[in-house]
Amino acid sequence: MIKTDKFKTNLIAVFLTTELNRENVTKNALISSILRRGSQNMNSQEEISKQMEEMYGASFDCGLDKIGDNQILKFYIEVINDNFLPQNDVNILQNSIEKILDIIFNPYIENEAFKKEYVEQEKNNIRKIIEGKIDNKAKYAMDRCIEEMYKNEPYGLYKFGYIEDLEDINGKDLYEYYKQLIQDCKIDIFISGIVDEKISEFIENNDNIKKLQERDPKYIIPKVELKQKTEQEKVIIDSMEVSQGKLILGLDVSLENPDLRYTALLYNGLLGGSANSKLFQNVREKAHLAYVASSSYIRYKGNVLINCGIDIENYQKALDLIKQQIEEMRQAKFSEDEIENIKQGIIDTIKTIKDEQDTQITYYFSQELSQENVSIDEYIEKIQQVTKEDIVKVANEITVNTIYFLKD
Amino acid sequence: MQIIENLKVKERVYQEKLDNGLTVLIIPKRGVEKKYMIWGTNYGSNDSTFIVPGEEKETQVPNGVAHFLEHKLFEQENGTNSLDTLTALGVEANAYTTNDHTAYLFECTGNFYEAMDELMDYVQHPYFTDENVEKEKGIIGQEIMMYNDYPDWRVYLNTMQAMYHNNPIKIDITGTIETINKIDKDILYKCYNTFYNPSNMVLVVAGDFEPEQMIKEIQKRLIEKKSNGKITRIYPEEPESIVQATIEEKLEVSQPIYTIGIKDKVKECSFENKNEIVKKHIAIEILLKLILGKSSNLYQQLYNEGIISAQPSLDYEFGKTYAHVLITGQSEKPEQVYERFKEEIRKLKTEGVNEKDFNRIKKTIYGAYIKEYDDVVDISRMFLADYFKGINSFDYLEEIEGINVEYVEQMLKDVFKEEKMVLSIVKN
Repeated sequence: MIKTDKFKTNLIAVFLTTELNRENVTKNALISSILRRGSQNMNSQEEISKQMEEMYGASFDCGLDKIGDNQILKFYIEVINDNFLPQNDVNILQNSIEKILDIIFNPYIENEAFKKEYVEQEKNNIRKIIEGKIDNKAKYAMDRCIEEMYKNEPYGLYKFGYIEDLEDINGKDLYEYYKQLIQDCKIDIFISGIVDEKISEFIENNDNIKKLQERDPKYIIPKVELKQKTEQEKVIIDSMEVSQGKLILGLDVSLENPDLRYTALLYNGLLGGSANSKLFQNVREKAHLAYVASSSYIRYKGNVLINCGIDIENYQKALDLIKQQIEEMRQAKFSEDEIENIKQGIIDTIKTIKDEQDTQITYYFSQELSQENVSIDEYIEKIQQVTKEDIVKVANEITVNTIYFLKD
Repeated sequence: MQIIENLKVKERVYQEKLDNGLTVLIIPKRGVEKKYMIWGTNYGSNDSTFIVPGEEKETQVPNGVAHFLEHKLFEQENGTNSLDTLTALGVEANAYTTNDHTAYLFECTGNFYEAMDELMDYVQHPYFTDENVEKEKGIIGQEIMMYNDYPDWRVYLNTMQAMYHNNPIKIDITGTIETINKIDKDILYKCYNTFYNPSNMVLVVAGDFEPEQMIKEIQKRLIEKKSNGKITRIYPEEPESIVQATIEEKLEVSQPIYTIGIKDKVKECSFENKNEIVKKHIAIEILLKLILGKSSNLYQQLYNEGIISAQPSLDYEFGKTYAHVLITGQSEKPEQVYERFKEEIRKLKTEGVNEKDFNRIKKTIYGAYIKEYDDVVDISRMFLADYFKGINSFDYLEEIEGINVEYVEQMLKDVFKEEKMVLSIVKN
């Protein structure tokens, strides 16, 4: 429960966390779509939508996520808090909690199975989502690079699953699987807004919550992966109808201990995490090879992903220039000032976590999941302690795993 | 200083027009860490033909100058780049160009005043050379290429092509590779001097600030510049009719992407009719949700038949010289979505709007307006964009109450006309 009166809304989030594997990834994606089709009390999507609209447009949303080797089914309801209701409508918060729990834990069932029509329609929708991967070329290129880096490993799996796995799923087996999932998964409920003890009591007394069993949840505690250096880099080239080439480099960050992830975060900032970074300055501003030239850090998997959109004929030129930036990081070609700037930027972002309800919930959820319980102040402290020597040391433990290029 | 308060959402806006003509809006947000400043000029990709105040002849510039200027303003005479300087302060800085305005902004928690120094300095000090203008053509060229790969952007731009004969809303904000090649430093200076005059600009600040103090901080950082008088903007005559009913483009997409556009008549927003424009906007939002929102019959039918798998986006876009409805989504059968949409409108016109549905949707829209007021970024951008349309964002909260079924039915007749509709499709 996050008590705050800073917002116009209350946000309720329910997360179901389960192990990511090929066998279940598609089923989980499908379950998340089927649940929003109807519950025992609200039999159709139309009914759910009407109920949400009655609560001043409460927005009900669900999504899928990958954290470490887990798949997360996420459900949210955002509803304006009572202070901003024009009439004296009351208990809109309790009402929305009841609704979200009903949707997740009390699905619409016919003859001990999910409704056939819903299952078939949602299979079709998931198929379209999977096929739709190609629509955002830049995102597609990044997903493909991750897939190549984690071939035959859970993290390489696509969170919406696989078309060939959809065919064999039916409403009865899927419902059986759902019951197992609800029994085994880790369940977290977050509420942010104007809340008090009465709300947690209200949740505890909810019938859907009461019927849940005690459990030892089956999920993988995400730990910062301490991986080995890559000996030989892979090069993957795909062709598709694009006017601009998308060049992705997947780097492995091999760390001596998990605490060095803060250092890796700064490394990423210097390499491609901001407009002052080496990639932005050299690939974009000086060589004018790209409009997008950046990098991001995948903490639990120990990777940095570099992302550039370039003219297709500039492939080699851009690649050489990017590699030169990685080399310069190893040779400590960056200043104390630059480090300070990046630190300030990261700390600024950390400080705004409290200003957004969903960001705050996501932060606490990842702390809960990893069992790290690093407070926001500690987080800032850790960032501040990183030195140039640390960064250079980490830079020398970073290797290129995969070069991925999407061209025409 | 004018204080505008809205009791429904419990927020206040402080508005002041400074002596040099600059409008300042301050939105205090107590207890929030995040601070946001955005400085906009009423100059976008639509403004390619105009008369410079004091001149008689009209000036015409290549398409894409407003966006080019946005890129180039960051460059400083001493060789530094303001985006770097701001980033070095640990703030998140950016800029963007729309068809009617260009804006420079940053958000931060710490170093606010240092960042404010830099932002206000670079926006007031252009530095263009032949060399730095040439260099930018490569970067913007890549940006144009990137947009060419976005099917969403293509389907949007094609919709504009189908609806508008002459209005510049149909051109790409960035310009094209050909038009940006014609841009040089003299053109940039001319446009800068015309449109970056304080009287054509609005500065919005949101965060935990004292408004009076903030005004002083802003005044301290303004260089001396006189209000330069009225800029005459010349827009081509636009017929009421559409250009073509359908338009298609081939791009590699998993499933066709479509936009249904409805061209609307434009009334210049003035102080007298701004309430009418806001009311119309709200009514159209209600209608779109009634017709194709998540709880609508049509949405449910199309979903159950597998024709659509997600809620299409429903928008009403308008400016001083254009207005249109846009419905965008993905479907294997966009023509069917279009036919059924038209059918549904005909039905609604004969049967009338159901009171119960209407009230429920009205509640939803009210809730959506309230939600706009949480984030300093959202609030500031909304006030800025609305200001350039002649609207105060609070007006939406005030006007919604008075909207009734009759009014919405009238808007249905006025706006949702079949002869004004176009269908744009991007597919394999």
